[in-house]
Parts: sequence; structure tokens; C-alpha cells
Amino acid sequence: MRNFHKTTRVTGAVAVLGISALLVTGCTRADTSGTGTGASAGAAEASPGITDDSLSLGISSPLSGPTAGPGSCSVAGLYTYLEAKNAAGGFEFGDGKTRTVKLTYLDDVYDPAKAVSNFRQLEGDGIFAYVGALGTPTNAAVMPVANEEKVPQVLLVTGATTFSKDQKTNPWTFGLLPTYFDEGAAFGKLLADAGKAVTVATLAQNDDYGKDYLAGFQSAIEGSDVKVVGSATYEPSDTTLDSQVTELAATKADTLLSAVSVTPLQVGVLTRAQDIGWLPRIFLPSNTSTPATVIEPGQGTAYPALYSTSLTKVPVSPAFADDEEVKAYNAAFEKYGSKITTTYTPHCAWSYAEGAILEQAFKGMTDPTRDSFMTALHSITGFHAPLLLDGITVDTTATDKPAIQGIQLVQYNGKGYAPASKY
Amino acid sequence: MEKLLARRSVRLVALAVFAVVLVVAPLVSSPFINYQLALIAVFAVALLGVNIVMGYTGQVSLGQSAFLGLGAYIAAYGVKNGWPLLLVLVLCAVLPAAVGMLVALAAARLRGLALAMITIALPIIGIPLARRFSDFTGGSGGATVSFMKAPDWSGLANDQWRYYVVLVIAVVAFLLARNLVRGRVGRAFAIVKENEAVALAMGVSPYRYKVLAFTIASLLGGVAGFSYLVVVQFTSPETLSFFTSINLVAAMVIGGSASIAGTILGAIYFVVVPVLAGAVNSARTALISGAILLAVLFLLPRGLASLPRRVRQLSARKSHGRTGATAPHNSPDGASSAAPPEIPEIPAANEERQAR
Repeated sequence: MRNFHKTTRVTGAVAVLGISALLVTGCTRADTSGTGTGASAGAAEASPGITDDSLSLGISSPLSGPTAGPGSCSVAGLYTYLEAKNAAGGFEFGDGKTRTVKLTYLDDVYDPAKAVSNFRQLEGDGIFAYVGALGTPTNAAVMPVANEEKVPQVLLVTGATTFSKDQKTNPWTFGLLPTYFDEGAAFGKLLADAGKAVTVATLAQNDDYGKDYLAGFQSAIEGSDVKVVGSATYEPSDTTLDSQVTELAATKADTLLSAVSVTPLQVGVLTRAQDIGWLPRIFLPSNTSTPATVIEPGQGTAYPALYSTSLTKVPVSPAFADDEEVKAYNAAFEKYGSKITTTYTPHCAWSYAEGAILEQAFKGMTDPTRDSFMTALHSITGFHAPLLLDGITVDTTATDKPAIQGIQLVQYNGKGYAPASKY
Repeated sequence: MEKLLARRSVRLVALAVFAVVLVVAPLVSSPFINYQLALIAVFAVALLGVNIVMGYTGQVSLGQSAFLGLGAYIAAYGVKNGWPLLLVLVLCAVLPAAVGMLVALAAARLRGLALAMITIALPIIGIPLARRFSDFTGGSGGATVSFMKAPDWSGLANDQWRYYVVLVIAVVAFLLARNLVRGRVGRAFAIVKENEAVALAMGVSPYRYKVLAFTIASLLGGVAGFSYLVVVQFTSPETLSFFTSINLVAAMVIGGSASIAGTILGAIYFVVVPVLAGAVNSARTALISGAILLAVLFLLPRGLASLPRRVRQLSARKSHGRTGATAPHNSPDGASSAAPPEIPEIPAANEERQAR
């Protein structure tokens, strides 16, 4: 009995303690949020993450797991550009100050919950903006949080249309790359412009990406002599596409649109088709067209022609070895980016160009605020970012399009890609 | 007797302090910390389900992420269509439980690896289904929802409010589960795990209790899915990812199987270790997480929940050594034989034995 009383007394004391702690701390949080709003009420008051001589950016990309290759490159390219520029004295801003830009990067393993967690962490660490993150589901999960908190979530490395098509609803979100739809349409246009009857077989991923790709292609070939004679789909989890290729080979189509986004599967498509004696002209999507990882292991030279799309010069290709921008990139990447990854994917070059777009936005920033940054970022026209191919420019003024517009069709020439003008 | 009561009051105080920490923590922490705390509450519920099937009943389940995802999708669909939240929560519990029971009615006839294969199939089938039924799921782009905002009268920020919501769900789930495993059903689970023939002889149908364990696990998975949506406000086919299932099983073993406290520790491990690894080196998170996993399995083969016992064992062995007595080989097992049986029948358990 005595013990019983003792325990109730203890519980009571703890409860009182808890409630008083609740009351005390309840005020603390309210106070901090109060000062927060007070600060942002002043017009030219600086946003978080920016001082007179520094600015901090954050990114969360898959740095481990199946998407680690592209994910690491989406960080490494940007990191390279920023660090090289910092070493050269820093970035000039529109308010006349020069700042060094620091990039904090975190791993989200392509997991949306982890991406939101990372975003929260970066926000807590006081980043000015969240830039260049790779991944459609991960960015989709971050988008509502970023817009609620009014943190710029910009120049995202993804081909999904979601992030740029409705900037009125999501004013703080902005994509970097041309969409899969645009890419499919570019292929379709090349065929339609050939002005002769062409038969096409399509192989696409069985999801929104694959659908976007085919929708773009279809829209471009409408009303032309181009005819789709066979279609097949696959799941990203498939281990082989042999049966799909065999099925499509039976159509004896002149051209194969192989919108396969998984590197080993794309290699399998290239080897399988020639094994069974089907040698069409092949279109490869930009994310699985790297010579060293796809075309060489797949013995792509057996085919009459291999097309792909490209946005950038390929720094690892001998064709661009003498290019000034490529030389600068390679030297800087060796010094900074190679800390993060040593395997090249196009994402390295894209995110390097992204660094230059950011620099352009910084130049236009008249106030050290996120609002001013977004205004400046959306005011870039006709800008040539380093590594981008001729004819591909940055135009950020449209409210329903990503930053980089235009796609260059390229053809494989045995060593690397060269611009393709006609079918 | 005196000692026991003393220990009991100590436990009570510890529990009360824990409760106060749970209640006060979000008020003094940043939104990031609150998000982590809320995620721990989310995955603790999912992990509790895994523990009921694997830890308490000794069956293999590698499909928990499928129920997590199903719950999240049901919640997203319900919220988008403006259904009352309580109804959504009930559906998030009932529908995955029904699916889990259907699967278990067939799968519980199998055991060991065959059962593992069936449960692996769930996330593997679930992901393409989630991609295909885009009207219901939002396709591979996922579904974004915005709900469960803090009401004005509470004076809380959204992250705090959402934390409290998932905390209440988790506390209720844990209390119910605790009562379940300590009662008649829990004893039946334990005997099914130990020896099905003995269970039958005692009038306990192993089949029925296995189905029950799976159903409860799926229910908890679905409820965790609802909590997941409350916290993350987004779901996509990645939520069902098979790796989540595997990581949940690993977290259960690390926390301590057939242990309520171990489940909570496992959830903390599940959420916190990747963050810590990222703080050390973001480009090497997988490597660092793997190293921590191995370290825990080698040092604490019975999981984090066994840490106090392990410390006692080690100090006992030390004093044995000093007196010159040779410790018998089975002393670690002997020490724990009084406790309820804890080793799940999974490959990891064999490694545990070998490690010892």
C-alpha cells in the first residue's frame, strides 16, 4: 500500500513537471516563429543562408543505391562549377557584393521520405536555396514543402513535366532539363522530315516516363508517312528484354525507338537485336546513350545508324578534347568533382551548366533575398551556359517550361556523337 | 519482494520520463528533428508488425513495405476525395489487414524459405501495380497531398501537430500490441514459434495463429502507411520498395526481436543511422550504414534491447576470469534461457548463432 502511494506520487510529480515544461517550452517555439516573420517583413532584410560574403545552397540526390551514378553526377558537376568559381575569387552578385557559394549535399537513396527529411535538414541548417536535385518522385515529395516554406527548389535534374508546367501554383519550383516529351518529339520530327515512308517499332518503359516519351513521338509524326508497326513495353525491374526485342524484330521495322532508361537493359537490346539478325536504325534516349557504357558493350557499330539527343558537349569524348569549355571542365572536375564520383554520366555536364545558370541569376539579384533570386532566375534569356551545344540556350522566362530549351539530335560516328541533320 | 517493487517504480519513473520527453521534444526542436521523430513513430508501427510476425511468431515476412505502401495509397486516395479522416484511418487499417489475411490464408501453409518467397512477391508485384493504376495511385509520379494542418486552436506548427498525430497512433498501436503479446494470443504465438507439433498437442492451431499474426502485421503496416502520409504528405511506388522491407527486417533484428522496447530501438536505428551516416560522408552512406549494422550484429547479436543484459554478462565473465573459473560454453544461452524464446527462424538467426 505504501509503495502504491509512492508510485502515484512519483507519477504525479512527473506529470506536473511535464505540464510545466510544456507550458514553458510552448512559448519558446512561438517566440522564434514570431521573430522569423518579423524579420521577413522588412523589405530588404536578408533571407536565411546569405551574408555579405557567402551564400549556402543545398542538394539532396541519390548518392547510393541503383540511381547512385546519375545522382552523384548531379552533385559533382554543380560542386565542380561552384568550387572552381569560388577558387577564382567568388561570385559577383547584383547588389555589388562578391560572395563564395557553399554547397551542402546529402544522400536520399531515391527515397521520397528521405528526400523530404534531407530538405528539412538543409532548411534547418539555413540554406538559401535547394538546387539541382535529381529524381522525379523525390522532387515531387519535396515540392509542396518547399512551396509552403517559400524556399527556392530550382533547376531540378529531371525530365518530368510536373516541375515546370505550372509555376503559378508552385512559384518556388523550377526544372532544368527539357522533358521526355520534348525528346520523343525531336525523334519523331526527324523521321517525319525525312519525307518518306518509315516503319517504326517502339520499346518504352511501362510508366509515365515511357508514356511521355511516346506521346511526344506520336505528336511529331502525326500526319506523316511514318508508321508505328509494333510496340512493346517493359518494367524497370525486368532482367532481360529479349522477348520484347524478338517480338519487335518480327515486324522488320526500319527503325527502333528504344526508350529504355536502364543501362544494362539497353545494352541487352543492342546485343539481342543483332544476334537475331535485325539491324534497324536505332534511337537511344539521352540517359542511356553513353558510348562507353552502352554502345561499346552493346556493339552498337553493327547497326546502320544510332541516334540520340544531346544537350551538352561530352567531356569524355575525344571529339571535344580541344574545346576550351571542355578543357576547363575536365581540369576543374579532376580537382573538385572527382571527390564525389569518377564515373561520367551526362548529368555531370548538365549540373555543371546549371552552376553557370545560377551564376547568371546571382548577377541579377539586387537584394539578398529569395524573392529577388527567383525574379533574377526567371529573367535569363538567350544565355549560353558552358558545355551546352550550339543552338541550345537557356531561357527561363516561360512560366510553363524548364530552363534549358531545345534538343540537339546527334548520330554516333564510331567514336562519339556528331550533330545529325537528317534521317 | 522489496527489490521487485523498487524496480517496478524505477521502471514506472523511466516510462514517465520517456513519455514527458516524447511530449515535450517537438516543442523545443527544429522542424527537421520533429520530422525525424515523426518518422521514427511511423516506422515503429510498421516494425511492430514485422516483429509480431517474425519476432513473436517466428514466421518470415519480407513484404511489410507493400502494406505500408497500400496504407499510404488508401490514405492519399481518401484525402484527395475528401473522406473523413477517421474513416480513412479505419480503411487504412482494415483493407491492408484484409489483403494480408487473404495472402496469409494461402501463404501460412508454407514455412521457411517458401514463405519468404511469397512475401517477397508482395512488393515486387505491388510496385508495377502502383505504376499501372495511375487513376488510383497517381502513377510513377506519385501522389502529393496536403492535409493534417495544425488547427488554429492548438497554436502548434504543422510539423508539431503531425508529430503528435502519429505519436498518438503509435502509442495506441504499441499499447494494443503489448497487451496482445503478453496475453493468451502472445503465448500461442510463442508456442507456434517454438514447436508447431507441441502447439497442436496443446490445442493451439498453428495455421490459425500464423494467419492471425500476418493479419495483425498487415494491419499495422497499413496504419503505418497512414502515418507515413501524414508526415511525408507524398507517396509513390518507391514507398513499396523491397529495400524498405529488407531494411525493416534488419532494423527489427538490430532492435531486438520479440521485444517491444527493441521495436522502438529498431525504429530509431532505421531512421537515425542513415542521417548519421550522411553527416559523416554523404557520398558513402551505404558503406557506413553497413558497417554500423555489422558492428551491432557482432557486439549485440540479440539486438540493442539486449544491451543491459550484455553488459551484465560481460562484467560477469570478467569476474569469472578473475577468480580463475572457466566459464561454461553455454553460459550466454544459459543466462537468457529464463527469458521468453527470442531467436527468429530466419537466416540472420543462424548467423547470430555462428557469431556467438
